[in-house]
Amino acid sequence: MLIGQICVMRGLTCFKLTTAMAEITYLQAISTALRDEMRRDPSVFVLGEDIAVFGGAFKITQGFLEEFGPDRVIDTPISESGFVGAACAAATVGFRPVVEFQFIDFIACAFDQIVNYAAKCQYRWGISMPVVFRGPTGGGIHAGPYHSQNPEAWFAHTPGLKVVLPSTARDAKGLLTAAIRDNNPVVYLENKFLYRHYREEVPDGDYVVPLGLAALRTRGRDLSIISYGASVHHCVEVARVLEGEGASVEVVDLRSLVPLDKQTVLESVKQTGRALVVHEANMTAGFGAEIVALIAQEAFDYLDAPVMRVTSLDVPVPFSPPLEMAMLPSVDKIADAARKLLAY
Amino acid sequence: MAHSSPQVPLPDYPEEITAARRELPFKDEELLRFYSSMRLARTFEEKLAALYRQGKIFGAVYLGMGQEATSVGCASQLEKGDFLSMVARNLSAYFYRGVEPRHVMARWFGKDQPPSHGRELGLFLADLENYGIIPYHNGSMASWIPAGAGYALAFKMRRQPNVMLCFTGDGATSPGDFYEGLNFAAIHKLPLVIICEVNQFAYSTACDKQMPVQNVADRAPAFNIYAETAYGNDIFTVIAAARRGIQHARNGNGPALIEFKTFRQRGHGEHDDMAYVPAELREFWEKRDPITMYRKWLIERGKFKAGIITRIDEVAARQVEAAVEYAESLPYPKPETVTERLFAPSPHDPKPEDREKRFEPIENPAIPALTRAQQRSSGEHF
Repeated sequence: MLIGQICVMRGLTCFKLTTAMAEITYLQAISTALRDEMRRDPSVFVLGEDIAVFGGAFKITQGFLEEFGPDRVIDTPISESGFVGAACAAATVGFRPVVEFQFIDFIACAFDQIVNYAAKCQYRWGISMPVVFRGPTGGGIHAGPYHSQNPEAWFAHTPGLKVVLPSTARDAKGLLTAAIRDNNPVVYLENKFLYRHYREEVPDGDYVVPLGLAALRTRGRDLSIISYGASVHHCVEVARVLEGEGASVEVVDLRSLVPLDKQTVLESVKQTGRALVVHEANMTAGFGAEIVALIAQEAFDYLDAPVMRVTSLDVPVPFSPPLEMAMLPSVDKIADAARKLLAY
Repeated sequence: MAHSSPQVPLPDYPEEITAARRELPFKDEELLRFYSSMRLARTFEEKLAALYRQGKIFGAVYLGMGQEATSVGCASQLEKGDFLSMVARNLSAYFYRGVEPRHVMARWFGKDQPPSHGRELGLFLADLENYGIIPYHNGSMASWIPAGAGYALAFKMRRQPNVMLCFTGDGATSPGDFYEGLNFAAIHKLPLVIICEVNQFAYSTACDKQMPVQNVADRAPAFNIYAETAYGNDIFTVIAAARRGIQHARNGNGPALIEFKTFRQRGHGEHDDMAYVPAELREFWEKRDPITMYRKWLIERGKFKAGIITRIDEVAARQVEAAVEYAESLPYPKPETVTERLFAPSPHDPKPEDREKRFEPIENPAIPALTRAQQRSSGEHF
């Protein structure tokens, strides 16, 4: 549906689309948000490996070089720490750089610059650093130990960084727009399976999802499943399966780990009395532990069952399909845990 | 404990400054400003060391005694709008740029002094607006070479005729960040000037255990950039070399790597007794103290009256005493402020009315085949 309004701008009458929708993929949503912000704000520039001439390994920045030129679309040498440090610096003097990691696994090469430079600048001196670190996360596509990781907990544990993980195309656009306009370093973690496997209607034009607000993906009374990123899709599927079995499940999508929408988590758990926490990253010291602790501390009196977690196993992401399948959370594993909780 | 003597060559560096006054382009007040910045830093650090031993300074104290000529000489060649980053050894460059000693002292005392308000050590200051001192990650000395490239990139993108000058040390030329930052800057011909003060030891480890080349400048061909090696304790030699490097970068020719041979007269920090420094090396550099050499030059060749120089010494001593009084009089930051200023406010921070829009269903979940339907398994026995 197109809803428009007539507006008068510099004496010209034009038709301005306000809430038009187009069905696009998760990847196109990221690309659109990035392009729109670069058109809107000349201080935004992008840098990373193979993003200019080649348009990016996943083609997020295809056509950007032609539109914005080599000053704003920079192919870097393979040196994550180097170009991250440079981007962070430029961010303190009026630029809003968006750094692409070809695979998020390589963010480890820039760890020092992110956790010791970006994260601490505002706290140390009150100098803000609006920089976005984005790249593809996640397994399930036979990519092996160095192209499948989920590193959100590394960064959520570091004070001074915001950490967001869109699970839908709308959020991919809305969260990236908010991240670029945010005055702090934001780690924006995409899911590479969702890139071309998920599409939905996404509002055209300015569309922002504030950082720090969870979304409900299903509503329910019997069990809360708290998740984020691509795992949310598994949880929604589980909610459907269990609906067929007579259970009503509420799926809470955190969207943002830092800042964390504690209120939505607690409201949901207090209403259902049962909580299951799901993420694709491995379990030990994963972000799920933080959610479980929050629930234990703030909603203990409301619980009818222990809080459970379904996550990957505590091993690197293996390559061979049976091994990877055994390692990752799945619809079945989540459904099994949910049934146990419902029967408790 | 016995230490093996590192292989440190003792070069033929003179024990006095021999530049002719009439051939130097500096006015008298400039020459005195060089001296007063160096003297103030030395006096300040002597006091800081004493305060540390008296238990009045928390944590550790890092001093730059012996490196004042490189700091002031390089800082003096910057122009309006240029940026610089500094190591713990460059207090005299702070003072040359106009940073007030009482503010530095207050930070060392952990007092509520902007811009850090007690969150950072006394030697770490970032203040772009007033002094052009960039914010950077101070933990590892190579880590601000990429940041330096970033500031130089910003200058280039804005077509600004400025340079970014980074002080660093011999030990910082080994980590990958040194290569990554310089590589990026060299590719894009960015106006980045690296001042590498080779002060003979990276903490306790001598240069021959840090690098397989004799000079840091020997690493420059890897980047195809301008480089030179100079004596760092003669302020006029420093100024000439720094000027060449800065001009090279400012003219759009890309980065410059200027290396100065100098000596760290104190330990890595004041907790370090420097037992690893061979006596002959210490003696060699003691005879080449940059402040003693310059003071002698001012009187003998610069024809300044000794009284003028002595007055500068006295003013420095008074400024340092006043700095301590100021620092002691300031309050500590309030404990309840500890969680403040972690994040800067942003235009889309959640507002109460945003909470209304939270139900956004996913109609068609996208799930990899691998994790959609599989055997009922917790993983252990697939």
